[in-house]
Amino acid sequence: MVELATIKPFFAERQDVLNEILGRYPDYGRRSAIMPLLWEVQRAERYVSEARVHEIAEIIGIQPTEVKGVMSFYSTYHEHQVGKYHLQICSTLACSLAGSDEMYDFISEETGLVNGETDRQGLFSIQKVECLGSCTTAPVLQVNDTYYENVGKSRCKVLLDALRRGEMPEPWRERYGDNEGVEKAKPLQNTAKTGGNA
Amino acid sequence: MKVKVNDVELDLPPGTSAIDAVFAAGYDVPYFCSQEYMSPIGACRMCLAVVGAPRKERDGSWIMDEATGEPKIFYFPNPMATCTTAVMEGMVIDTLSDVTKKAQGGMMEMHLINHPLDCPTCDKGGACELQDRAYEYGSGESRFVFTKRHNEKHHALSDLITLDRERCIHCKRCVRYFEEVPGDEVLDFIERGGHTFIGTVEDGLPSNFSGNITDICPVGALLDTTSRFRGRNWEYDHTRSTSLDDASGSAITIDARTGRIERIKGALNTQVNKNWIDDGTRFGHEYVDSGDRIKTPLLRKNGKLEPVTWEEATHFIAEKLKTLSGDALGIVLRSDATLEEGVAAKALADHLKTGQIDHYPRYASSVIPANPASFNDLATAGAIFVMADATEEVPMIDLRIKDALKGVNPPTLMPHGVPIADLRLKERMPRKTNILTVAAPYRVDLMKHAGQVIDYKAGTEAQLLQQILDGSTDAGKALKESLTAADNAVIVLGAFVLNSAEASKLADDLAKATGAKLMKLGAMANSFGLEAQDVLPAKSDYSYPNMLAGSAKGLIVSGLNPAQNAEVAQMLGGLELLVVHDLFENETTALAHVVLPAKSGYEKEGTVVNLEGRYLSVNAAPVDGGQAVDFTGVVKELGDALGERLEGRSVRSSRRLLKKELELDLNDLPLEGTVVAAKSGKVSGLKPNSSGNALLVPSMVRPEYLSRNPHLLASTGGNALRLHPADAASYQLSNHDVIRVSVGGFKRLLSVHISESIPEGTLLLPALPDQPAGLVQVDVNSIRKEQFALEVA
Amino acid sequence: MSDAVAEKPKAITSRHDPRFEVTLYKYIGVENSHTLEFYKSHGGYESAKKAITTMQPAQVVDELKKSGLRGRGGAGFPTGLKWSFMPPVDGRQRFIVCNADESEPGSCKDRYVLEDDPHQLIEGMIIAGYAISATKGVLYIRGEYYQGYERLYNAIKEAKAEGFLGKNLFGTDFEFDIMLHRGAGAYICGEESALMNSFEGYRANPRLKPPFPAQAGVYSLPTTVNNVTSLACAVHIVGKGADWFAGMGTDDSKGIHHVQVSGPARRRGVYEVPMGITYREIIFDLAGGPTEEVKAFIPGGSSCPMFPFTDQYLDMPMEYASVAKAGSMLGTGGIMLIPQNKCIVDALYNVVRFYAHESCGKCTPCREGVSTWVPRMYQKMLAGLGEKGDLELLEDVSSNIRGRSFCPLADACIMPVQASIKHFRHEYEYIIEHGKSMYPKQSRWAD
Repeated sequence: MVELATIKPFFAERQDVLNEILGRYPDYGRRSAIMPLLWEVQRAERYVSEARVHEIAEIIGIQPTEVKGVMSFYSTYHEHQVGKYHLQICSTLACSLAGSDEMYDFISEETGLVNGETDRQGLFSIQKVECLGSCTTAPVLQVNDTYYENVGKSRCKVLLDALRRGEMPEPWRERYGDNEGVEKAKPLQNTAKTGGNA
Repeated sequence: MKVKVNDVELDLPPGTSAIDAVFAAGYDVPYFCSQEYMSPIGACRMCLAVVGAPRKERDGSWIMDEATGEPKIFYFPNPMATCTTAVMEGMVIDTLSDVTKKAQGGMMEMHLINHPLDCPTCDKGGACELQDRAYEYGSGESRFVFTKRHNEKHHALSDLITLDRERCIHCKRCVRYFEEVPGDEVLDFIERGGHTFIGTVEDGLPSNFSGNITDICPVGALLDTTSRFRGRNWEYDHTRSTSLDDASGSAITIDARTGRIERIKGALNTQVNKNWIDDGTRFGHEYVDSGDRIKTPLLRKNGKLEPVTWEEATHFIAEKLKTLSGDALGIVLRSDATLEEGVAAKALADHLKTGQIDHYPRYASSVIPANPASFNDLATAGAIFVMADATEEVPMIDLRIKDALKGVNPPTLMPHGVPIADLRLKERMPRKTNILTVAAPYRVDLMKHAGQVIDYKAGTEAQLLQQILDGSTDAGKALKESLTAADNAVIVLGAFVLNSAEASKLADDLAKATGAKLMKLGAMANSFGLEAQDVLPAKSDYSYPNMLAGSAKGLIVSGLNPAQNAEVAQMLGGLELLVVHDLFENETTALAHVVLPAKSGYEKEGTVVNLEGRYLSVNAAPVDGGQAVDFTGVVKELGDALGERLEGRSVRSSRRLLKKELELDLNDLPLEGTVVAAKSGKVSGLKPNSSGNALLVPSMVRPEYLSRNPHLLASTGGNALRLHPADAASYQLSNHDVIRVSVGGFKRLLSVHISESIPEGTLLLPALPDQPAGLVQVDVNSIRKEQFALEVA
Repeated sequence: MSDAVAEKPKAITSRHDPRFEVTLYKYIGVENSHTLEFYKSHGGYESAKKAITTMQPAQVVDELKKSGLRGRGGAGFPTGLKWSFMPPVDGRQRFIVCNADESEPGSCKDRYVLEDDPHQLIEGMIIAGYAISATKGVLYIRGEYYQGYERLYNAIKEAKAEGFLGKNLFGTDFEFDIMLHRGAGAYICGEESALMNSFEGYRANPRLKPPFPAQAGVYSLPTTVNNVTSLACAVHIVGKGADWFAGMGTDDSKGIHHVQVSGPARRRGVYEVPMGITYREIIFDLAGGPTEEVKAFIPGGSSCPMFPFTDQYLDMPMEYASVAKAGSMLGTGGIMLIPQNKCIVDALYNVVRFYAHESCGKCTPCREGVSTWVPRMYQKMLAGLGEKGDLELLEDVSSNIRGRSFCPLADACIMPVQASIKHFRHEYEYIIEHGKSMYPKQSRWAD
């Protein structure tokens, strides 16, 4: 507890953000701000530390245990810092039927990491995740908050290379079905082929 | 509502849960998540049963079964969790069908797949709900061939509670308990699904009532650390008794083994504490088994106390008494002495013809109100005004006020007792905090739950009450109006009011003016009873402080340690006779001529009267106290030495005296006790301090025994001097400093606790039996820092 | 009677019907379709205006009832009826909640609306809010849909600036505002009461019912929860009239639905279809048929029991009653094809693992059964360690879980398990007997 007090509060210099978030909810619903506050911390720090849990509890006016209970319930809040590029490989059935297991193996080999690990440089971390809601454009790879859909092997390599260079490509959004192909992925350098429908 | 459980037809009130219908019918379903006095949540799914009910046509008539001519029973497609199902007119519950049995057996099996097979080394073994239910409803063999979930087995949730995460069956009783009962959400589930475990990120479990989770845990996951690995359930003697820790009269079970108390558990008293007790009561027993207890009488020979026989000790006293005739002798009992001890002391005083008799600590005014409120009055009150640090003085007040905030009246008892699933209770119920007003001279715990908080300066209680009575402030006016308007209003008065005769009088006036009932928090467990029995000085000059100021030439002191005060010690050193009846050697025994071994509150038989005026039995657990006796024993031994068969020479003898007066047979009190109307005693003769730079405050943990309660000592960090950072700076104190300081003449050893919430200019420190709550002068120049941390004596 | 029937045109039940027109999905994937400018120029907010300025709330509810719209989140509860459950207005705050926590494997229909047509959803919420006299909306979007969140965030801002949200909508005294709330990865939040707990800042455990949301929902206040496309449908039902909507589908299931075809199909994708369309038309005509031999299909998201890929099931009309009668559920319309050479045990392990991961842990059958025991049994079989009796044990444990849990999540896991055993028992028996899958793992990753 003593150590926590010495850490500078995250929201000390983000009062406007804090007030905006608290202002979204009615007074009797102050607790609703827990999740957005956790998001705010995580987007900046790539995880939510114990100190931040205490800080958020203080802001909301509840016990830190409550915040921890909420935070740990959800799979996308991290207790440990993830990489600059957090690679989330959807492994649920539709993606699995489109080869996401192999995509995981490939990424694992490329990065030298296994599920849940972060590399020493803090560049990559990889995580197998459950259905991302991109079943018709499987397999999908989510990097931080961005979806890359229909990631074939060569596209995957291109993507990893871009990330290694510190470039975060625009989302690869694909719309199949009605209005197919209206918004196609923007081609990247060295893009071999786009995956997709036969 | 007509309900049929198997072959038993019942008529139950609407809102009854199906599980209670089953038990009311004399049948059984297993359950783990339901818990008396807490919300049913339907999580463990053990109480599944086939349930059906008739339905009505659009016109309101029953849909009939043509074959039988009776209303047709429509069964739910799946077995229902009976704990969360309310009974309906004509409902049919089948707990014996194969479907029910398969559902319950299947659920039992799933409860066990991850539960370790460590029953032989588990403290809960023999008293484990899971074990019992597995025996009754399990199949006897497991089809789960995989490795069980592994997790921490010795996780210290706090200094007082140990969690075995492998044993947890996720019934959520403990998590719900913290939210629903004390309202301290300090424990929660972490993670989810099969990875869920209970945990806290707080430092320990900051709640005054954390120990209750060890009582309600259906398995051996949550254990009282003080008793862990100390014995098996069948080896314990379970003694139901009444706690002498405070004036609530909470029911406890004392579990003792081979002459030691191993643990204290809460026991059911639906009128008082329900199932709950506070942590001070639960964990504050270790001192009893401390190795340095006085177990034989001691007599001073050549300046040294030496063990002697009772005969030698009492013979010595009897000889001395010959020269101490009449009022020269003073007799004082501590205020948690039983009624029987009080009567015995009075009988002894009568025999010795002295009017110098008193009990202590007590306050300047009576603790017996004209219109006393019961705990259930408090729990159903529409407006509550607390002028006390109730959580520390009588912790049960705190919990029962929280009942009132929920606005759910105590349940009607079922044939099988307290309803297992009271459907009126919900998780996260809104709390009616606006009915509660708390006034105290510093931040007290209950303020977190109060709609209105009144801060005042210590010593100005009378002014504040006058303002409320006059309605001269907005807050005071609103409070008076709400107390008047509420159907059932209760005013709770603690030490700070009771210690001022003037404030007490105004509080009584306020109660009269508003029609509110009163609760007066006596200083100790039997303050009410001893006052009602007039264990009080014959005249005001004979009060205990006067005796210590020289009104007595000889003194028999039971359970008190006046020589902590250096000035008093000097006086005591000059007495012709000083007899001390106590558990441990202390500053006063160091001056005593004779020391007599005393029984602790867990070893006595007797009666106490709680703050409602409820007579409650205190029963003796088999604890090895050597030759210790209670005060009736002292009277008997003295009588023997004097050659007299004195009244009050035994508990029975005292009860005979009391029976005449009370028309109450104390040998035959009901478990829940009996309330008898009482008049206030002739209370006078105390002149508490009206000024000082510090405030002695009540504490639920008994400060005088803390050094002998290692687990409580570790969790509290010792008796604290609490002060504001500004004061700390001016006295050059930092957190966790251990200091010696003179407090109103008492030498105190305290650890420094600095907090912004303490009013600037006022130091707070725990009151002692000999130094009751109120203002006091701390000699700040006497502060000496010690180089050691507080350790177990 | 025959005259009346003759007068009424036959309801649309096929995409081949020339009268069918893609409505709700018309602008999905169109550039800038997410902007207010685009939305307004394509008739946006006209329906809300119509409802608020020309209709009474009760009329809107009636229109919805008349349309026959049933909840598109999976359970298929009639939307208009749900709206009518709200208690009389009593001065308390009321809420309309949009459940955009689309997480059912096989489903992605909501994501496209959230990302590409957020204003359509906002308009739907305004209409629903007006109909149930709720002045506050809660839009709970799953955490992973960050782009959807961003676009909605901006769309709400735009709508506020233009006066489509806020006070005095369309010159009336009706006010409406939306609280956008982002989840963080929990399938269970798709269950409405868990969603409300999550929104309120609690662990997302489902709540005890009753009380239902209409009595005590968000913050214990009267609340109605609807799916994204249900609310979007409301826009067009109000705009085009209930008859337009009811003119599609069957007696049991009216209007449009959005099917999401995944797995080995030539043209995987999301298609707007009239109810009553056959699965054959969806899979073969719209999605172009399988790219490889297929043995089964899941009709509505992974929790819906699978059907063998046979004429009997392919020719079944997509309507709630028929699918239920055949032993499954219409669900979210997430149709997943399972190739012949995919080991069914492996496929089901994938499904089971999902539910094991998403179990909230509150109740025993789900925590110990779904989240622990059942996946272990699959792991054992897949590791080649299956023993005689394992299948029977799996069936028995499944029967001890199904219908015994607190919320439907455990059933959502167990029903597909039971269906797979029913239809592909031989594959289970094979893997147990031979210690290896009938169909070895194959490379499925396209280049």
